[in-house]
Amino acid sequence: MEKNNEVLLKVDHLCQYFRLGHKDMKAVDDVSFEIHKGESFGLVGESGCGKTTTGRSIIKLYDITSGNIYFKGQRIGAGTRSYKDAITAARADAAKKIKLLNTEKKAGYQEEIKKVQEERDAVIAQNRALIRDAKSDSKEVDKQYQESLLKDLETEYAEKFKAAGADSVKLAALKKEYRTRCRVAKKSKLITQIQMIFQDPIASLDPRMTVRDIIAEGLVINGITDKDYINEKVYEILETVGLVREHADRYPHEFSGGQRQRIGIARAIVMQPEMIIADEPISALDVSIQAQVINLLNELRESLGLTIMFIAHDLSVVKYFSDRIGVMYFGKMVELADSDELFKNPLHPYTKSLLSAIPLPDPVYEKQRTRIHYNPIAEHDYSVDKPSFREITPGHFVQCNDAEEEKYRKQIK
Amino acid sequence: MNKEIKLSVNNLKVSFRTDGGKVQAVRDISFDLYKGETLAIVGESGSGKSVTSKAIMGISAGNSIYEGGEILYDGQDLIRIPEEEMHKLRGDKIAMIFQDPLSALNPIMRIGKQITEAMLLKNKANRKEGRETFNKTLAELSDMMKKALAENPSAGFSAADVDKYIKTFDGFNIQAIKLENSYNESRTATEEMMAVIEDVLFLSENKQKVDVVAKLSLIKRKLKDINDKYFTSNYGETLKAHAVSLDSCMRAERKKVGVMESAKKLAGGNASKNETSTETVAALEELKKTAKEMLEQTPYNFFRIGYYVYKNPNADLSKMSADEANEMALQFLNENFMNSFIALEKIAVQYSFKNTLANKKDAIAALENAINFFKAGNFSEKDADAACKSVNKSVLAAIDPLAVIKDNIAYTFGGALEREVEKYFFILKNNPKEEERFKRQTAKREALLAKGKTVDWEVIPMSIIEPEVQIETMVSVLNRVMDKFNADVAAAESFDAEKRCLEIIDFLKEKAAQVVYKLTKYIAKERAIKLMEEVGIPEARMRYRQYPFEFSGGMRQRIVIAIALSANPDILICDEPTTALDVTIQAQILELINRLKKERNLSIIFITHDLGVVANMADRIAVMYAGKIVEYGTAEEVFYNPQHPYTWALLSSMPDLDTNEKLDAIPGTPPNMIYPPVGDAFAERNKYALEIDFEMQPPMYEVSPTHFAATWLLHPNAPKVELPKIITERIKRMKERGGNHGEE
Repeated sequence: MEKNNEVLLKVDHLCQYFRLGHKDMKAVDDVSFEIHKGESFGLVGESGCGKTTTGRSIIKLYDITSGNIYFKGQRIGAGTRSYKDAITAARADAAKKIKLLNTEKKAGYQEEIKKVQEERDAVIAQNRALIRDAKSDSKEVDKQYQESLLKDLETEYAEKFKAAGADSVKLAALKKEYRTRCRVAKKSKLITQIQMIFQDPIASLDPRMTVRDIIAEGLVINGITDKDYINEKVYEILETVGLVREHADRYPHEFSGGQRQRIGIARAIVMQPEMIIADEPISALDVSIQAQVINLLNELRESLGLTIMFIAHDLSVVKYFSDRIGVMYFGKMVELADSDELFKNPLHPYTKSLLSAIPLPDPVYEKQRTRIHYNPIAEHDYSVDKPSFREITPGHFVQCNDAEEEKYRKQIK
Repeated sequence: MNKEIKLSVNNLKVSFRTDGGKVQAVRDISFDLYKGETLAIVGESGSGKSVTSKAIMGISAGNSIYEGGEILYDGQDLIRIPEEEMHKLRGDKIAMIFQDPLSALNPIMRIGKQITEAMLLKNKANRKEGRETFNKTLAELSDMMKKALAENPSAGFSAADVDKYIKTFDGFNIQAIKLENSYNESRTATEEMMAVIEDVLFLSENKQKVDVVAKLSLIKRKLKDINDKYFTSNYGETLKAHAVSLDSCMRAERKKVGVMESAKKLAGGNASKNETSTETVAALEELKKTAKEMLEQTPYNFFRIGYYVYKNPNADLSKMSADEANEMALQFLNENFMNSFIALEKIAVQYSFKNTLANKKDAIAALENAINFFKAGNFSEKDADAACKSVNKSVLAAIDPLAVIKDNIAYTFGGALEREVEKYFFILKNNPKEEERFKRQTAKREALLAKGKTVDWEVIPMSIIEPEVQIETMVSVLNRVMDKFNADVAAAESFDAEKRCLEIIDFLKEKAAQVVYKLTKYIAKERAIKLMEEVGIPEARMRYRQYPFEFSGGMRQRIVIAIALSANPDILICDEPTTALDVTIQAQILELINRLKKERNLSIIFITHDLGVVANMADRIAVMYAGKIVEYGTAEEVFYNPQHPYTWALLSSMPDLDTNEKLDAIPGTPPNMIYPPVGDAFAERNKYALEIDFEMQPPMYEVSPTHFAATWLLHPNAPKVELPKIITERIKRMKERGGNHGEE
């Protein structure tokens, strides 16, 4: 697959905290990455490290705490916590300074205080503007998307109207079609361009809906009322994912695990998304069926030009499926690289430990495999020098501080 | 390979009765499990892996039918022994770890209680059982001695002698138990005291507040309980000194609490909890050291001393060192009692053996009669019952009452046979009904079809077991006992009466010890904590008091393993123990299971569908498909030289780290086991299937002495088939990697 450098999704300093009593649980903490158009991006890590939360935050199932998410260049999600924190910090800072000045009472301290207050107000105003921006962006993004869709429709139909000319019957039909499509366009949202496949195919399908209803639900919500069109679409999608038309009127419990996951995939691609977030789509499936689903996803990716974000903990499958892989550990992205590069030159000790734990179908090798233990307290000394996410070689990012960066650079040469 | 076989499954067939008909979940599988090895059963869901393991554990679902075959463990057929016997094995000898650790734990019980629960219950039952068996065996021994003497009056003993000897034996055993009880009570108190001290030291080490005064007074109470003269023989003075220093510590702590209390009362707080002072910690450390020494001293042999004390009630052997006392008492015991007791015992043993040998020959004849009777067929229920009863009676008579190691086959024979006979009549009664229904339905369907209507239902197949097959099963039950008896009769020449005598005495001693051995809550706790540490749970002492929801998935699975190990089983069945866990935790759990296997010499049946995990764990592999074993061999053979197309399909459907080409997915789904295919079950999904695969089931072909596969491709006339490319390449890569593994 040729490299396409158009950035489809950009996640920028994403934080997702959950309230846990009086403390925050940092499920995702300052994660940044980009996904290019047409590629498959793998996200791995142990359970509870925030892989799924990242996926759900992107699709706006959670309100993100801070950071930005850009899809096709438009900001679809923005958190405000970091700006609010900045305001509080500025206030506290200023109050401290003023108190100090008040007690010392040096010459001209009144002016000093005024200066501090002005600085504080400037910071607050700036951050407030950012918050306003973020809020309006997440509201306006759909409006803008709808407007652009309408504009496209207008230009498209203007030509068609012209071509129809004086034929009044044809014109009327065209006008009717134009009206329905406008109505759909007015209801559509940019976020529907990202769809999700869930882990458990049993739990994620409504047992009281037929397969047809399940697949068509997205279309109906989007305002499509034409029954024939919906049926046509459902049959088409069913055949794409390897099921048959007759399956449309059955209920989820009548299907095997692999078929259910196919229904989940059908539900996702019926909206013609540009991107799919696959959250452990195969870990609940049986061995022989896993390969079927992987092959199906690969075919769909080629035929529909999908971009896939693949979340999993089975590393050999992720390696097989993904072009680039991000490794997460306790809410942080610790390493990000091309999949071959990551497996050839793992730099971060956690990645090494993760790679050493993969079981392979090779008894001789397995019996002498030694697992590398990862103990973050022993491995890193971040007391003085705080780590950040840095690029070691082009396209290979690692979470490290200065000393480690140097070490990694040497290692890779 | 000359390894000890722990468990052997032969021709097992299990079906389930359902509304749609009989689902044949396991169809005729056989395998052996050797001591200290891991046997992995691989296959997709619905292939009968779990059904097999549940049959071994005796926890099959209520609608299951055992259609034939046997599961042999320690001479017993696990699917035919009564529930009470199974209850003794389940958990104790054969333990199981389930897939989902959360549903295997009780959510509202603390972890500690869940681990110790079984230990405490088993201990209580053990003590009761020990006392009963001891009395029963002794009574039987005396009975047999009297009978032997009546027949052989010139042996030099009289019946009065027997009474005297048995009374002495019982008496001095009671004396020994008394002494040992008191010794053990002190020992228990010491262990409990250790536990409390460990608690306090652990808390104070972590700078947590403790109710020191209460804990100290508890320790003091325990210290007072350590009063057995044998146990404290060398430590009397030291213990007194410790008691004094504890007192002073307590005074100091009390004072501190008093000061704090008056200060805190103003603030309205509770002051009884406090940080332990360094002096107290030091005193406790010292006491712990002494206690440890005491626990490690050489134990007295109370069986010997018991006799000495029984004869000389005023003697005090605690002044002597343990070795000296043991030696002296042994001599005294042998000279005055044991030698002549054994001589008497020998007469009884020989007499009883001779008797049972004769009975055994009778029993063999009776068994032969019964076999002929059942083989002839055509018997009424009443006759069959009578035949069962008579043959059981003669078999029971052939069990030597003085053989302390129970002959399990003969012991459980009666119940097994009765159940099989019952089943036979059940079949006779129900099969005609089934046949009738089947005929009716088929006729209806055909009539409908003849009218040209479309029929969208299928005829529910007959859930019928052939009566002939059932008779064969009954005969096999009889045959097993007969073979055993024949072997016994043949081995009668080499019978060693001397050895049997010592066995009986050892057995009695063991039972007496069982009565004495008492497990208290404190000790159970210590043992549970040790077990938790063994399975790799950090800070076990703190974790002990937590609830299951406070543990992560991997930790929960460790707890489940700890519970399974608490009874020290022989065989561990792991039913997909890591499927719910992620890679790193999975690696940890697998390492843990491997380590425990080595340390405890466990035999493991490991059920999974992940071939990577299998490669890590298994010594041998059985690949199952649609209720049959299709390939069976050592791990190396199955991975490097797979023979069955299903194994190929499994191997090529999962990517490894170097796979780039398209995966070979297995098309379709497994067959419906209500209508099992006539030929090879995998034929429909198999692109290498031959014509014969659809018509006949392939036999097991031997590839090497340890490697078998059931596929027609191995038939000499079969066309040569190349392995799928994805596998040949992978094997090549694996061989390369195996060659220079130094780099890895």
